[in-house]
Amino acid sequence: MRLSITKKPVTAGGKLGLAVLLLTGLVLLSGCLFTPREPEKPGTGVQIDYLPKSAPANVWANLEKSLEASHAPGWEDNISLIEFRYIPDDEARDLFPPDTFIGWDRPREVTYINNFYNSGVSIVAQMVQTGFVFPPASGNEMTIEDIIYDLVVTNDADGSVVRYRGKCDVIFRLEANFWYIYEWRDLQGESDPGSGQLLNTMGVLRGTFGS
Amino acid sequence: MILLVLLFLVAGVGGISSAGAQDSDTSGAGSDTTSVSDEPEVDTANMSPLERSRYLAEQAKRSPQDEDEEPEDLGPFFQKMSNEPKAGAMANVRQYTYYGNLVTTLKFRKNSIFKNTFKWSWEEYRKQDKTVEKRDNTFAYGLGKNLPVVLSLDGAWTWSEDNTTNTAGYANLSKRDLKRFGMKANKTNFKLGFLNNIAKMSAGVTEQQSVNQNQRNDLQEGKFDAGLQTDMSIAPGVMIAGRIYGMKVAGDRALGKSTSPSSADGDTLGFGVYYKRNVLNGRVAVTRSNFNKKYLDFKKNSNGLIDTVGVAEDEKVVTELETVDAISYEMENNFNFGKFAFNTRLTRLTDDLDYSQSGVGLRQREQDVMDLSLTYASGRDSFAVSYDYLWKWDDQRYKNATENRGRQYNKARDYEFNYFRDLFRRTNLNLRYHEGLGQDLAENRHNENDKDRHQSDFSARLDRNWYNKFRATMVFAYQQIQDFNIRESRSSNNNVKDSYEVSPGYSWTISPWLSLDQSYRVYIQYTNYSFSGMEGVNRADDYNKRGNLATKVVMDPTNRLNITLRHDYNRRFSATKTVTDASGSVFYHRDLNQTISKIEMVLRFIAVPGVTLEASTYRTRDDRDTFGFQDKTTITYSGEMWVGAQVRRTWFQANPLELSAMVRKYNAFGPSVTETSSDYWEADVWLKWEF
Repeated sequence: MRLSITKKPVTAGGKLGLAVLLLTGLVLLSGCLFTPREPEKPGTGVQIDYLPKSAPANVWANLEKSLEASHAPGWEDNISLIEFRYIPDDEARDLFPPDTFIGWDRPREVTYINNFYNSGVSIVAQMVQTGFVFPPASGNEMTIEDIIYDLVVTNDADGSVVRYRGKCDVIFRLEANFWYIYEWRDLQGESDPGSGQLLNTMGVLRGTFGS
Repeated sequence: MILLVLLFLVAGVGGISSAGAQDSDTSGAGSDTTSVSDEPEVDTANMSPLERSRYLAEQAKRSPQDEDEEPEDLGPFFQKMSNEPKAGAMANVRQYTYYGNLVTTLKFRKNSIFKNTFKWSWEEYRKQDKTVEKRDNTFAYGLGKNLPVVLSLDGAWTWSEDNTTNTAGYANLSKRDLKRFGMKANKTNFKLGFLNNIAKMSAGVTEQQSVNQNQRNDLQEGKFDAGLQTDMSIAPGVMIAGRIYGMKVAGDRALGKSTSPSSADGDTLGFGVYYKRNVLNGRVAVTRSNFNKKYLDFKKNSNGLIDTVGVAEDEKVVTELETVDAISYEMENNFNFGKFAFNTRLTRLTDDLDYSQSGVGLRQREQDVMDLSLTYASGRDSFAVSYDYLWKWDDQRYKNATENRGRQYNKARDYEFNYFRDLFRRTNLNLRYHEGLGQDLAENRHNENDKDRHQSDFSARLDRNWYNKFRATMVFAYQQIQDFNIRESRSSNNNVKDSYEVSPGYSWTISPWLSLDQSYRVYIQYTNYSFSGMEGVNRADDYNKRGNLATKVVMDPTNRLNITLRHDYNRRFSATKTVTDASGSVFYHRDLNQTISKIEMVLRFIAVPGVTLEASTYRTRDDRDTFGFQDKTTITYSGEMWVGAQVRRTWFQANPLELSAMVRKYNAFGPSVTETSSDYWEADVWLKWEF
């Protein structure tokens, strides 16, 4: 049997009614499907004091606070909402399948940081080397070059400790009212200050936890 | 007999990756076959059975005259040889690159082609102590129509050497020498009784010698894979299809000081029903994959990260056995009835990944997706409603553990409603509403990161177009984001952000040589911390406001000259909540006033055909007043200027010699501009000859 369409004029009132019906259905649905859970009240002595994103230096410092608290919203909140890209150093790129870092954008970055934090790790981070001074915030876009960061990641499940140290260039952009990280380019791995061993950049963490 | 037919059909293929199994080389029989033949090859292997049947029906309709339009090339065995040498140099703020390429193409009888590409490049980094040299030679030989199957041979020799010395003076040589040779064959659309079939196979050998951080990583492996896809029509508009695929790899690997045989094998089976009848079309498909791989690997921890610090040299490398079992179910249905369309998509993917040596141990994953959408279009109105649901989890049993860690759940649901209406002539209205909730849950509380993010957005957009001379837009948008960490150790920053935005704008073509664009944007965001009043929580509610006026003027005074002027003017304020009085009035303390003004000019002039002179400059002034314990005012300037030219010339018709050059000289200043980025060249210059 072939179904046929009956052409019946739909009045403007009817269309509006349909729209109102759909919106009403949405409001009813949102009450039960889209209600977040009730959070626990903060415990005493546990607080992450993020800085206002009024300058690139604060944004970068917030990443360190996010890492040390394994608090993903703190990382996500400092990554550009409009456009973000990550470019790995050659060493990290070559450790993973060729398409691993292609088109690395905000959703990939959010996936990575959540998977990383959810993997049961404790992190000690120093996102800039001692003595590094960020230039004052100016204009709508700033490139900060040669930042050296250092992470010590302890795996709570087996107690293993892996250190990451890399040099990167970062482009910050002013979006709406705040500064965000727009581009993170890892340049090269740096040496362990103690043993002199060449360490990997955070590109290795991104490649491991990014999917 | 029926059982035999069913068994044959249940056998199914596809790329192993379709169900989540891993295979680093996707160029085998389970995937596309590439050909260097001049005739564009239609790869029906990747078509759905319905698409393929339609394609074949179209082919069948072609008349003999159509066939005559593409005569089989029956001339002499060797027909043509061409060479394309190309040399060039590139420069930018990071590096200089010098390169040379040579492409040689040989054409033979019956559309058979041999193509060889040689590439060499040398990279020198301006800011790093780093040089990279690469040599790459690839060839591909397609036998065209000389055989009853499509057969191609390909090979590559890739060599690279990367010398990097880091800030501490550690010099590392990363060197790789890879040789690969392969053969691919496929036969499409051949009939066996009532079954339509596609068969593919490939074979190849790979040899690699590489060194990085004084650790060698060598391999010598051979690979063979083959696949068969078959389908049949069981009723008008209904088809069933099955696929089977298998692969085998064997060889030797050396990693660090260890050597060991390596191997891999995998197979995939798939089955699907595809339909398109009256108002319905869609498919139901099941695919199962298995994959085993044995190889040398560095010792890894339970997160899969290399962990060799403090490990004895002979224990750093292990012989790993990796096993993957994956299965996927997919159902898609599209119901189109007049101006209504209702689309449904349901999928489930599960896979188990097991390592015999790595601390990762056994990792299990499952993902369910449901996407529903409803659209309706009538006269000047149209609606689109969608609901997407994602539920996934992963679990892990660490190596040597007796129990699983607990599932990590991710749940997401999104609802979106769009309404479009032509209000009156050349005036359109779009209303959008979106609501979404994302949740992370750790079973057995194996981490403290449980969290919910709830987002709702509403926007209204009005567009008006006056005969393409003047266009105006008005946007109003509201967004609320609730970020809630559930556990007490993370919840002190829980907050709700409310944002409002109003953006009117217009675009005016004043005359054919002059246009003006202007937009104004006012944006305000309030952040309310859920626990800001609690003792010990050092968070205060705040708001941020911004006004932005952007102006752009484009002028073409002559056919040769183009001038673009831009101006951005920003004012923004930040304030922190201080008190709420007895009447409920809220008071804020102003923390920051900022004004940013940026003016930019771009100029292009065609000096002679093929030669364009260019220049661009911008200057930014940033005034900041901060109010705190001590008020402070700062004014900073930044800017950039570049001048350059583009040249594009071609000489000789028969054997063209082509020159392309883009050269720009940059100078920049500002607080974040370093020595290397304050003065540099950007260039892309090359010369190509074809003979």
